[in-house]
Amino acid sequence: MILAAAGWAGVMLGLASSIALAVFGFRALRTPDRATRGQLQQPVVGMVVGAAVAFIALEIALLTDDFAVSFVAGNSSRATPVLFKLTAAWSALEGSIVLWVVVLAGFTAVVLRQVRSVDDRLGVGALAFMGLVATFFFGLVSTVANPFEVLAQPPADGPGPNALLQNHLLVTIHPPLLYLGYVGFTVPFAFAMSALLTRTPGIDWLRRTRRANLVAWSFLSAGLVLGAWWSYEVLGWGGFWAWDPVENAALIPWLTATAFIHSAVVQVRRGTLQSWNFVLVLTTFALTILGTFLTRSSVVASVHSFTQSPVGPALLGFFVVVVVGGFTLFALRAPGLASPDRLESLASREGAFLVNNLLLSLFAFVVLLGTLYPVFVEAFTGAQTSVGRPFFDRMAVPISFALLLAMGVGPFTPYRAANGRLLWARLRPALLAGSLVSAGLVVAGVRSVAVVAVALLATAIVAASARQLVTSAPDRRPATLFQMVRRQRGYWGGQLSHIGLVLVALAIAVSADLSERTTATLRQGESVEFGGYTVTYTGNETIQRSHRTEVAAEFQIREGADVVRIAGPSLNQYPSQQQAVATPSVWSTPREDIYVALTSLEDGQVSVNLYRYPLMWTLWAGGLLVAAGGFWAVGGRPRRRVRSATPAAVEADAPANADAGAPQAVAVLSDPPAEQGEGRDRA
Amino acid sequence: MPDRRRVGVTSALLLTLLTVTVVGLFAAGPGPRDRVAELEGQLRCPVCKSVSIAESPSETAVAMRRSVAEQVAAGRSDAEILQYFEARYGEWVLLDPPAQGRGVWLLVLPAVVAIGGVVLVLTRARRSPDVPELSDDDRDRVAAALADARTRRHPDEDDEP
Repeated sequence: MILAAAGWAGVMLGLASSIALAVFGFRALRTPDRATRGQLQQPVVGMVVGAAVAFIALEIALLTDDFAVSFVAGNSSRATPVLFKLTAAWSALEGSIVLWVVVLAGFTAVVLRQVRSVDDRLGVGALAFMGLVATFFFGLVSTVANPFEVLAQPPADGPGPNALLQNHLLVTIHPPLLYLGYVGFTVPFAFAMSALLTRTPGIDWLRRTRRANLVAWSFLSAGLVLGAWWSYEVLGWGGFWAWDPVENAALIPWLTATAFIHSAVVQVRRGTLQSWNFVLVLTTFALTILGTFLTRSSVVASVHSFTQSPVGPALLGFFVVVVVGGFTLFALRAPGLASPDRLESLASREGAFLVNNLLLSLFAFVVLLGTLYPVFVEAFTGAQTSVGRPFFDRMAVPISFALLLAMGVGPFTPYRAANGRLLWARLRPALLAGSLVSAGLVVAGVRSVAVVAVALLATAIVAASARQLVTSAPDRRPATLFQMVRRQRGYWGGQLSHIGLVLVALAIAVSADLSERTTATLRQGESVEFGGYTVTYTGNETIQRSHRTEVAAEFQIREGADVVRIAGPSLNQYPSQQQAVATPSVWSTPREDIYVALTSLEDGQVSVNLYRYPLMWTLWAGGLLVAAGGFWAVGGRPRRRVRSATPAAVEADAPANADAGAPQAVAVLSDPPAEQGEGRDRA
Repeated sequence: MPDRRRVGVTSALLLTLLTVTVVGLFAAGPGPRDRVAELEGQLRCPVCKSVSIAESPSETAVAMRRSVAEQVAAGRSDAEILQYFEARYGEWVLLDPPAQGRGVWLLVLPAVVAIGGVVLVLTRARRSPDVPELSDDDRDRVAAALADARTRRHPDEDDEP
C-alpha cells in the first residue's frame, strides 16, 4: 500500500517535472534574459528522482510480494526466484514503461550536464524536447500503463512472470539493453528538433549527440544479439531469428540509426547531407515509437485486438504526433539550414557512405513493409495474411551482400574523389587473401555459394582493415599499432564493428546452408546417428522446484566409443501455464553447436529435434564485437589540439628533411594508404 | 620494373583463385532441390508465433510436415500443395504471399524505393571537374611532409563516427 503510494508519487513528480522542463525550456528559448539554468536543472532533478523512486518502489513491491500493487499481482508470484522477481519489473508493459522513464531521465540528466547556461540555445531546446517526450511517457505510466494501482482485495499469490521470461539469465539483461538503445535515440532526436527550431545551422547538433547516439546504437546492437541468443537458448525451435514483428521492431531503428552514424560522418567531414541527417534522426526516433507500439499493442496479432488496451492508441497517437510534428518542422526550417547536397564523385568515401545509406534505408523499408503488410491488409480487407522468412530472406540476402561489398570498399576509399589505380592498390592484397580462402573452401568441398561468397568478402574486409592499420602506422610495433587504434577511435571502432558484422554474416550463411537437422523418436536405450555422433536416450528424471516442475531427459552423445557429452534438455511445467516450456540443451564447441530440443516426453518415449550448427559462436562473438566497436568509438575522444604539423611542413617545403626522408617518401608513394594525410590535411 | 611484375603476378594469382572458386561452385551445380524443406519453410505453423512448420516442434507442425512429405512423394506440384494448405487454413498459412493481387505491393514498393534511391544518389553526384593529377614534384613534397609527420608525431584526431 505504502509502496504503491510511493511509486505513484514518484510518477507524479516525474510527470510534473517533465512538463516543467518543457515549459521552462521553450520559455527560455523565447525570453532568454528571464530564464536561469536552475529553472532547467530542478525539473531534470525532479525527473530523475521521480523515475528512480517509482522504479525502486516497484522493485521493492516485487521483492516483498506486495500483491496489493496491481503489477505485482499480475506479474509475480511468491515462488518466483529473487532474480526473476527483480526482472519481472520489465516482463510486462507497465513495468517496462517505468524502466523506460528511468533511462529517459538518465539521458536527460546527461544532456543537462552539457548545457552550461541558458545562452546555449541548441542545448536548451533539446532539453525542452526531451521534456516533451518525457511528459508523454510519464503520462503513460500515470494513466493507461499504471503499475501502481491498489487492489482492494489483493490475491494471496500471483501467476508469476510469463514462463518464457523466467527461464534464462539472458532475459535479465536483454530488455534493459534494448531500452538503453531505444530511449537513447531520443537525444539525437531532441537535438535535431532543437537545431531546426532554433535555426542552428552546421554540425553542432551532430557533434553534441555523437556520444549519446553511439551509446544508444551500441546498446541496441548488444540488445539485438542477446535477444537472438536468448531465442536460440530458450525458445527451443532451433533458430535465432524468426523475422518476428518483435524482432523486426528492434531491427528497423537499428538499420536507420546505422545509416545515420555513417551519414553524420559525411556531414561532419564534407558538409553535405544535412537534410538527410535530419530525416534519418527523425525516422529513427519515430521508428522506436512505432516499434514499441507494434510490440506492445498486439496489433500484429490482429488489428482488432489493439484497442483492447488503451496503450496501443496512445502510442500510435504519439507516433503520429512525432511524424507529423517532426516533418512539419523539418519542412519549414530545413531549407533555410541545409546547403545543397553535392558530391564531387560517387567514387569516393562519401559516395560509399551514400551507397551504404541507400542500402540500409532500403533494408529498413523492406523489413518495415513486410512487418506492416499483414496489418494493413487486415485493416483494409479484413483478410488474415502472413509475411515470413521466405519474403524477408529474399529481400535481405541481396541487400546484405551489397552492404558487405560496400564495407569492403568504402572504408579504404579516400574522400572527395578516388581513382581506380589507388583503390586497386589498396584492395589487391585483401582480394588475394579473400580469394585464397574461397578457393580453399571450394577445394575442401564446400559447395554453398553463400558461404563461399561471404567467406571471400569477410576475409577481404578483415585483411583490408589489417593492411590499412599496418600501412598507416608509423612503424609496425604492436604498441604503435595499438596506439593508432586507440587514437583514431572513430575509424577503428567502426572497423571493429565491421569485422563483427562480417562474423555475423558468416554465421548466418553457415547456419543457413551447412547446418544439419533431424527428428527422432526414441525409447530408453535407443540411439540415433547424427552429425558424426551417436545420440542415445538414457532416461529422464523429474525435478520439483519451487516455481516449476522440470522433466529432464538425458542423452549420451558419443563419438566412436567415447562419451563426449551428456545432454539434458528439459520440459518445464509452470503452474500458471498449460503448455510446457522446452529448454533445449546446447553443446557449444569452437567447431560446432549440437542442439538438442525435446518436443514431447511420455511413458518412456521421447521425441527430440537435433540440430548441428557449425561455427555458431561466431554469431555471438561477432554481434558483441559490433557493439564493442561502437563503445570503442565513444570512449575517450581525444581533445582537439591546436596543431601546426603537416600543412606547415608542406608550406615550408622542409628542405632539410627532404633528403633524409627521401627513401621513406618513395616507400609511401608506392604504397599509397596515406590515410593519415587524408584524414588530417583539412586542418 | 620489379614492382610492376609483382602486380602482374598478384593479378594472375587472383584471377586463378577466383576462377577456381567460380568453376568449382558451378561444376558442383546447385545440388538436388529439397522440395519438402522448401515447402515447409513457406507454411506458417498455425499454433506458434510467426515461425514456419519447418521450425516448429509442435504436434500440428509435425503433422503438417508429414502431410507435405506425403504429397511431395505422391508427385503433387508445389502450387497444388500450397493450395491444399491454403484451402484448409486460409491465406494466413502462406508465409510468402503470392505475387499476384495485393501481394504485388510487396514487390513493387521495394522496387520503387530502390529505383528512387538510386536516382536520388545519381543526381546528387555531379560529374567532378577533372582534378589535374599531381605533378611528380608535388607528390614528392607531400610524401616528404607525410614521412616527416609520421616520424614526429602520433596521429591523434579522427572525425569518423
